[in-house]
Amino acid sequence: MRRIDLPLDKVVEEIGKFYQFDKHHFIVMNAVDLGDSIELQWFFADYAAPGEVTMFAARSDASQLIPSITSVVPSAWVAEAELVDLMGINIENAKKGFVLEEDFEGAPLRKK
Amino acid sequence: MATYYDIPVGAQHISLLEPLHFKLTTENEKIVDVEANVGYVHRGIEKACTTKFKFRQVSFVIGRICGLCSISHTTAYSQVAEKLLNLEIPLRAKYLRILALELDRIHSHMLCLSHVAENSGFEALFMRTMKDREISMELLEALCGNRVQYDYSIVGGVARDLRPEVAQMILTQLKELRSKVDDLIDIFQSNWSLSLKNKGIGAISREDAMRLNAVGPLARAAGVPVDVRNDTEDLLPWKQVGFEIVLENGGDVHARNMVRLKEILVSMKIIENVIQGLPEGPVVAETKALPEGEAVVRLEAPRGELFHYAKGNKTQFLERLKVKAPTFSNIPAFVEMFKGNEYASAPAIIASYDPCLSCTAR
Amino acid sequence: MKAFLIAIGNLFKRPATIQYPFAPTYKPDDYRGLIQHNPELCIWCRRCEMACPPGAIVFSQAMDGTQTYHYNRAVCIYCGECVRNCPKPGAIIQTATPASPALKDENINNSWAETVKQALESRAAYMAEKKKQAAAKQQGGENPA
Repeated sequence: MRRIDLPLDKVVEEIGKFYQFDKHHFIVMNAVDLGDSIELQWFFADYAAPGEVTMFAARSDASQLIPSITSVVPSAWVAEAELVDLMGINIENAKKGFVLEEDFEGAPLRKK
Repeated sequence: MATYYDIPVGAQHISLLEPLHFKLTTENEKIVDVEANVGYVHRGIEKACTTKFKFRQVSFVIGRICGLCSISHTTAYSQVAEKLLNLEIPLRAKYLRILALELDRIHSHMLCLSHVAENSGFEALFMRTMKDREISMELLEALCGNRVQYDYSIVGGVARDLRPEVAQMILTQLKELRSKVDDLIDIFQSNWSLSLKNKGIGAISREDAMRLNAVGPLARAAGVPVDVRNDTEDLLPWKQVGFEIVLENGGDVHARNMVRLKEILVSMKIIENVIQGLPEGPVVAETKALPEGEAVVRLEAPRGELFHYAKGNKTQFLERLKVKAPTFSNIPAFVEMFKGNEYASAPAIIASYDPCLSCTAR
Repeated sequence: MKAFLIAIGNLFKRPATIQYPFAPTYKPDDYRGLIQHNPELCIWCRRCEMACPPGAIVFSQAMDGTQTYHYNRAVCIYCGECVRNCPKPGAIIQTATPASPALKDENINNSWAETVKQALESRAAYMAEKKKQAAAKQQGGENPA
């Protein structure tokens, strides 16, 4: 697994430079609660280089507005909508209530 | 001015096996827009795996995500835990994992095919496919000791060894199943009434499948060569046991049926090779280490690429476990696939896509 | 036409399904069935209890230190993890007998919650008693010196 650390405001730009839809395969977006901050991760696989997984990682605060990568990877809206519900983070244009109820309060996967 | 009607399909519907909801916007009979809602069965398994269960117990919990691909989930989790522990498992255990995974693929694909037949209005074929599927269920029961929840992979290897009489039973029964699958291929390929409901329905182009990051039989039916078994060699020796990728063109329901049927044949070949070339040795590797660091594992489940991410912190409990089910990646492609088809084709499209909602919502 | 002939032919064939209540279904000889405990061989290390994923095994402890094994077949998932973790072969084994269905009279869930609670309490009481005894012993040892 190749890990690339990025500042949060550079994520969309860097992924946009990296991602080509006929060369790379977007796997999923993930978030890990580190206690004081949240680490966001975007995973990509390569059609041409078998077995290689590239991970873009960025740190964020719980209340910060996180840029959406759907402008670059259109199919990422599913993963973003799931994380909004489960992690209680704020992602641009992501809809709430995809996995949990729309009026659900709290975030199950956060440690608090 | 066109009049649009919203027709809900689900969460409980006669053609749906799983609790998912679609809002189909139709113009006359044509579907023009789709909205999907998948979160009806969220059970919080990821949370439970990091708070309630020790990392060795998680491989049993994670099998309960889904009854059909329980082997895929337990194997993927066991692999990711072994990566965290830096544990190399014996070759025999790897071969036995492949055996269980491929038997599981046969029964899962046959279930999907039978539902495509049923939702296309061909009840007799549904019965017949289900009857033939029983053989693979029995083989799994003989191998793992249980009919649905196999619990076959554990952290460090597999739970039980393959007995010689079971190996013999698998080889003889597979021969019987092969002739039945050949008959099924004939029916699915050339039955005229089935072709009306399947050929050219729910088509997705190669470019769209790539753009929307589709995985599994859905992508392979559109000609995208995405199969994790083709990619990874480090965890399970797929190439050694004779894996070949199955590709089709067209991307419609018929192409997906063909991909599944041909994959059943490939799986049978793999199983025969595994049993004939099974190396001797132990089936489980012991360690007292605790999980540390982070790791990812990709595994080809029957429905496509399964992805597990785990992070350990040197305690009995994991810090984070993320499960990405194949159906989850396919939702964007799926929503796209409906558009332009007739409303009456929707059940067949849903079945051909083989949704597994308990995996998706977890 | 061919399909029609096959359909007519099928009328005279035996049913494809298994006549289940009258004929047995397939069951392998190493079916994962009920867990059996052998108190004679057991060394009471409680490793099975710690390994059990759903918590279907619990040991209670009397005041004299003897432990009793409790098992709930409705909670058990028959994974065999207890057997693999047992340091003494034969002390806990997996039989091929399927579990009988739980009946309403058994009150299997609520009574099990009660059993687990009592078992843990009995162990805590035993530990507290032992600690008290050890403290008294230590004091008794210190006083003469």
